[in-house]
Amino acid sequence: MDLSQYAELFLAESREHLTTINQLLLEWERDPGASEPVAGIFRSMHTIKGMAATMGYGAVADLAHRAESLLDVLRRGKQAPPDEVVELLFRSADSLDQAIEASVAGREADLDLSDVLKSLDRASQTLGADVERPAVQRPSAPVVAVAAGAGRPVRVVLVTEAQLKGARALLILRRLEALGRVHAVEPPPSQMEGEEFGGQFALRIETAAADEDLEREIRAAGDVDRVEFAAQEEAARTEAGGRSKHIRVDLRRLDALMNLIGELLTARGRLTELSTASADADLEDIAVRVSGLAADLQAEIVSARMTPVWQVFDRFPRLVRDLARKLGKQIELRVEGKEIELDRAILDKIGEPLVHLLRNAADHGLESPDERVAAGKPAEGVIELSAMRERAAVAIRVRDDGRGMDRDQILAQAKELGLVDPAVDALSDELLMRVLGRSGISTASEVSEVSGRGVGIDAVADVVRALGGGIDVDSEPGRGTVFTLRLPTTLAIIRALITRVGDERYALPITHVAETLDLNTVAVTRVDGRDAMSLREEVVPLVHMREMLEIGGDAPPRSPVIVLQMGERRCGIVVDRLVSQQEIVVKTFSPPQGTLPIFSGATILGEGRPVLILDAGGLV
Amino acid sequence: MDDLAGVRILVFRLADLRYGIGISAVREILPTQQATRLPGASHEVAGLINVRGQLVPLVDGRRALGHAPSEGSGTIVLCEVGEQYVGLAVDEVIDLLTVAPEDLSDRGELPGVDPRLVRAVGLRGDDTFVLLDLDALLAPILSL
Repeated sequence: MDLSQYAELFLAESREHLTTINQLLLEWERDPGASEPVAGIFRSMHTIKGMAATMGYGAVADLAHRAESLLDVLRRGKQAPPDEVVELLFRSADSLDQAIEASVAGREADLDLSDVLKSLDRASQTLGADVERPAVQRPSAPVVAVAAGAGRPVRVVLVTEAQLKGARALLILRRLEALGRVHAVEPPPSQMEGEEFGGQFALRIETAAADEDLEREIRAAGDVDRVEFAAQEEAARTEAGGRSKHIRVDLRRLDALMNLIGELLTARGRLTELSTASADADLEDIAVRVSGLAADLQAEIVSARMTPVWQVFDRFPRLVRDLARKLGKQIELRVEGKEIELDRAILDKIGEPLVHLLRNAADHGLESPDERVAAGKPAEGVIELSAMRERAAVAIRVRDDGRGMDRDQILAQAKELGLVDPAVDALSDELLMRVLGRSGISTASEVSEVSGRGVGIDAVADVVRALGGGIDVDSEPGRGTVFTLRLPTTLAIIRALITRVGDERYALPITHVAETLDLNTVAVTRVDGRDAMSLREEVVPLVHMREMLEIGGDAPPRSPVIVLQMGERRCGIVVDRLVSQQEIVVKTFSPPQGTLPIFSGATILGEGRPVLILDAGGLV
Repeated sequence: MDDLAGVRILVFRLADLRYGIGISAVREILPTQQATRLPGASHEVAGLINVRGQLVPLVDGRRALGHAPSEGSGTIVLCEVGEQYVGLAVDEVIDLLTVAPEDLSDRGELPGVDPRLVRAVGLRGDDTFVLLDLDALLAPILSL
């Protein structure tokens, strides 16, 4: 059987299980007396083993099997695990991660897992000697049916193409047993392993858990098509018609849909123009109808792409724990707003930048426990990672309560590199961010193993700008540093002003447009050798787009000035003319050498010509 | 399919010279279209074009190979270099050839052509053509 088409699915599911394993390990490490984490880790490990065996990934299955054996010993031992065993399990999770990635990539042969396998076996033996073996193996006999009618009846149907249906069904039973008393299982579990088991089974469960919780638990086992609660059949039916049916969709498919809807919106614009020009009532009617349908379709596709940030955030507790160990610091990671949603393409791109910021916070931001105590702070430092909605954008913050940045040192470096006027004697937050956003600036006084010379903020700023967002920093000596990333929630379609400069057109996302003015009505002055205007008592720098875009010539009289605002920063953009305001589909391109770093992408307008999108972050 | 006995080469013309590139990098031949200028990019870059909704940089073959710029019609050879699509604007596509390896001679000194860009010189009938090293030509212009 050709399983290659399942490889990506296997990868995605295994990653989820590894995330669960890491989270439960962290929980266990905090509370070694608890018994739930080990049971959960065991289940995930078991699922990975089963899936890997089906896929023929021997190394993964073997590693998972040996880890599972150790976990079984720990589970039965009912004792708090020694520190080094938890550490070994963390290490096993890492090895498993590598083994999974390598196997899916067809590089299973390059793996060398002998060390971790040996350690696992040794630990199982050492600990196993202390655990009394139960006299009899767990009975796998059918559950005795209690009087019919006790407990809620549940029927589960697995998807027809599911692999190892029997194993899935048993997994579901085990999950349900954790929630309440399960009985009247039909067909009995002993028959589930057989050929004739078709992937449907029924049971009764006595539990206080709500149907939704049961269903979530059942679906978490994977490959579940339908879950039916007989007593609430009607509710179940509406549920099935509503949001409960989840499937995995390849991001490339979603991108293709997004591209198509983009083309459709472009065509819609053309149709509307033509119908208006024709003055044909019937044509106008249908144009309006098509327009409405296209808008609905767009909204559906955009919402299908939205993904909660926990899919990225959940990796970080483990990362911060490892950083703390490596750096000899005590760190508490607080995570908030995990349910906030972003477009999947944006979410995929912010993982690495957030890792950079968390590393910086742990390494350079937070002080050592001794330093902290000496400064009158608790020995444990806090890093806060939060997501929240801010109007049309999402703000993601990485805050630490550490020492704050050394502005004098950064200023000195910036002067050395010629980034800042030698006359400047203090760095404002705004200037600090601008300086950090350039490469070559270090926030660390010493080179460290974890985050090198503290570079990386410029890389973070680049990614965020490419996504059409912005980044701000706020740092207070002795109190800590906050980086705020402001990201659009959806990447693909935005409202933009189409402007004309010379005989070229440029699009400007309206997210950051504060207002537009007439150049004739503002007072232009020169500040630090640059043009600026005064706007309600404030000096706002002006950027002449003809000059910036190397077009030359003078802008016509009565040119519009578009005021862009990003956080606290503002600037006025002088263009020749405002053409229109419309929805555009953002497309990315790899800029050839030398291209000005002020474009976040391009869009294709009605007649098919690409139009560059100006990046407010690069201009302000 | 690539013939084992030969190299498949797309031959095109720029000004009065003939050039060839290996067919394995060629994806498509497109009619010419107006490109959107990319401010700041070097003068070999004609701009950005729309290939069925995908944005692709267009390199002006004449400028990249040191010929006088042309106005007027032409053809775009869509290539894939380093997992990136790039259009190469040429005057016209002439032929698709299968050339036996022994018919390609080591690059000699060619007047007016940067030797670093030349992989070999080949014969098509009585005409010679310059087999280009596409990577060497495009990598410094794009950000590969």
